[in-house]
Amino acid sequence: MTIVVGYVPNRHGEAALDAGLAEARLRGGDVVVVNATRGDALVDRRHLGDAAAAELEARLAGLDVPTSVRRVLGADVAEEVVRVADEVGAALVVIGLRHRSAVGKVLMGSVAQRVLLEARCPVLAVKAG
Amino acid sequence: MDNLQLLLDGFQSAATPTNLLYAALGVLIGTFVGVLPGIGPAMALALLLPLTYGLESTQSLIMFAGIYYGGMYGGSTTSILLNTPGESASVMTAIEGNKMAKRGRAAQALATAAIGSFVAGTIGTVLVALFAPEIADQAVRIGAPSYFAIMLLSLVLVTAVLGASRLRGFIGLFIGLTIGLVGLDLSTGQARLTGGITQLVDGVDIVVVAVGLFAIGESLWIAAHLRRQPLDVIPVGRPFMGREDWGRSWRPWLRGTAIGFPFGALPAGGAETPTFLSYVTEKRLARDRDEFGQGAIEGVAGPEAANNASAAGMFVPLLALGLPVTATASILLAAMKTYGIQPGPSLLEDQADLVWTLLASLLIGNTLLLVINLPLAPLWARLLQVPRPQLYAGILFFASLGAYAVDQNPFDIALLLVFGAVGFAVRRFGIPMLPLILGVIIGPLMEVKMREALDISDGHLSGLFDEGLAIGVYVLVVLAVVVPVVVDRVRSPRTPHDQPGATTEREVPR
Amino acid sequence: MNEPTVEQAPRVDRAQYVLAAVLAAVGVYTLVDARGLNVGFGDPVGPRIFPYVVGTGMVVLAALLAVATARGDVAQGEEGEDVDLTSPADWVTVGKLVAILVLNLLLVNVVGWAITGALLFAGCAWALGSRTLVRDLLVGTVLSVGSWYFFYVGLDVPLPPGILDGIL
Repeated sequence: MTIVVGYVPNRHGEAALDAGLAEARLRGGDVVVVNATRGDALVDRRHLGDAAAAELEARLAGLDVPTSVRRVLGADVAEEVVRVADEVGAALVVIGLRHRSAVGKVLMGSVAQRVLLEARCPVLAVKAG
Repeated sequence: MDNLQLLLDGFQSAATPTNLLYAALGVLIGTFVGVLPGIGPAMALALLLPLTYGLESTQSLIMFAGIYYGGMYGGSTTSILLNTPGESASVMTAIEGNKMAKRGRAAQALATAAIGSFVAGTIGTVLVALFAPEIADQAVRIGAPSYFAIMLLSLVLVTAVLGASRLRGFIGLFIGLTIGLVGLDLSTGQARLTGGITQLVDGVDIVVVAVGLFAIGESLWIAAHLRRQPLDVIPVGRPFMGREDWGRSWRPWLRGTAIGFPFGALPAGGAETPTFLSYVTEKRLARDRDEFGQGAIEGVAGPEAANNASAAGMFVPLLALGLPVTATASILLAAMKTYGIQPGPSLLEDQADLVWTLLASLLIGNTLLLVINLPLAPLWARLLQVPRPQLYAGILFFASLGAYAVDQNPFDIALLLVFGAVGFAVRRFGIPMLPLILGVIIGPLMEVKMREALDISDGHLSGLFDEGLAIGVYVLVVLAVVVPVVVDRVRSPRTPHDQPGATTEREVPR
Repeated sequence: MNEPTVEQAPRVDRAQYVLAAVLAAVGVYTLVDARGLNVGFGDPVGPRIFPYVVGTGMVVLAALLAVATARGDVAQGEEGEDVDLTSPADWVTVGKLVAILVLNLLLVNVVGWAITGALLFAGCAWALGSRTLVRDLLVGTVLSVGSWYFFYVGLDVPLPPGILDGIL
């Protein structure tokens, strides 16, 4: 059983990762950490850089849950997360949610919303504590 | 000093609230566009030229001066944080600056760059105030033959000495000269190279040429090769320097200034050479040479000062001779011309107020740059998160607007696209932009001086060699062409199949 | 930066022949155009000499470029902050952008900058890969209407209002 975690290097991503790891322990599965980026800005804070990825992998390697980290580059972040979930036959997708203002909801396309609607497996949406 | 008194007078007229506002605005806009990836100072100035249509000449020049300095500062910010020098002048800053940032010393690197730029810019501008009038005094006596020779020297230096490939340099130059030919011949009133298109009779508007070459050409080129991978950014706090950093920075600042200013003032174009020399000098003088390559603060302080000092030095030939030596200077010249201001020896007499106000506002802008930008650095760094589609869409938007606003004529947009295509081709074939844009600007000036000189001699070529100074300059021209060729031959005698136009000879980013 | 070596089969940058041909054509046109100019009496120099020099230079350079290309000279594209030269040129994107720019050129005097400008921005963003069309249209409208008013009020340059005449 595989659990896919949509990860971004901030507290929302960490919350999702924690929840994903907890689920994996309960269900006895492995975790695939996905960080997707459109790669269209010179700097993307939600992109997992080389150094940060190595750090994350080192941190995950010490855990009791089998994990792997995937960084994907694609036109649409939500689509990429769903695609990876399909590919590994995920039993669950875990994503982090952040608070959004009314204006923000209108202007920004929500990645979380798209994953919720498009994933073919249950999705667990986590809020950062 | 007389000149200093005049400069103080300049301060009085520059320090009105409105003018200060324009200076601050210029600095902010300049930094804004300078930090944005893909936009250098030249492109920033070209895009913002339309802003001058409604402004009074003094104010728009003040604003432009601010944009110029701000754009350069913005460029160094990007180099330090991302190791992506937007222009050749920032290459040296990026080497040590990015290493410093990676070691967690981004704040110090940004601080030494900003303060070094301020020191160099201030000293440089004061030197301009001291030298430009003296040179202009001499220049009034220079005749057409020598003028022609000096312009030739400037073009040859930029074309043959800088850059990787002489063949491509000359191709760029001649494309520029051809563009400069379009329009009415001033003395006989005949249309040249218009192809029967009436809108071309007045010549092509320099705004359209510059925006097309820089903004459209660059955007299309980038669109064809868009980088898809985000880079790792380094978090910035408010820039500051410790005691040790100050101690290690101030000498490189001064040395960088001393190296940069003369190079900027010479008609050799650009900050590439002085920043490189400054870097090498600092490396040689450093107590701990091994730190170089690992983030030595001297390697940021020196080149950054040299960069700004040469940017100030550029005003000497621009104001005193009417001779632009960098792409940015040629756009400044174009801006001045839209107001009927003709830079050159007589400018300091005819429009003395304007010049001194400009110099004073350069100093003010430089100070504002320091005051505004040090605290704002973290904010500027956030600009790097603007997604590329919107960024380049914005550039194309403002480029089209700028061309359209010249005359509210769609023909200008068509022309803009033509020059955009030229700009694209030039990038595709590795043809340097500097000789091209200087050819557009200097070509017509050269023709005027050449015909003046030949008219006097009744058409005999001897008219071009009529002055001692001219002959001296021609000797330099010949040396500039011959020496690099000889050096190449001596250095690599065993490569007979060495192509004349190979761009792989030397790694010189433009 | 790889030095071309003798063993390597010479790569020929065919596009450079096209460039050389275009340059030669421009040079010849410059010369022909200059021939058609009249030189007045009492004007020892005239408007011909400079174009002659420029045109001749261009033709010579075009020939040199062709020779260099035949010898294996390859153009090194310009690098930049956002440029990734390792990937092949993306002509589809460039084509879309040019189409949008041309569309703006054709429509700007008919429907006005306030509308074409917004479409220009949103269109270019779309061509470059943006998926947030609604937001881009909003931003584009703010930019185009804002710039229209800026030129009208701030700079006293009235851009044609097009079909929005009376509304703006």
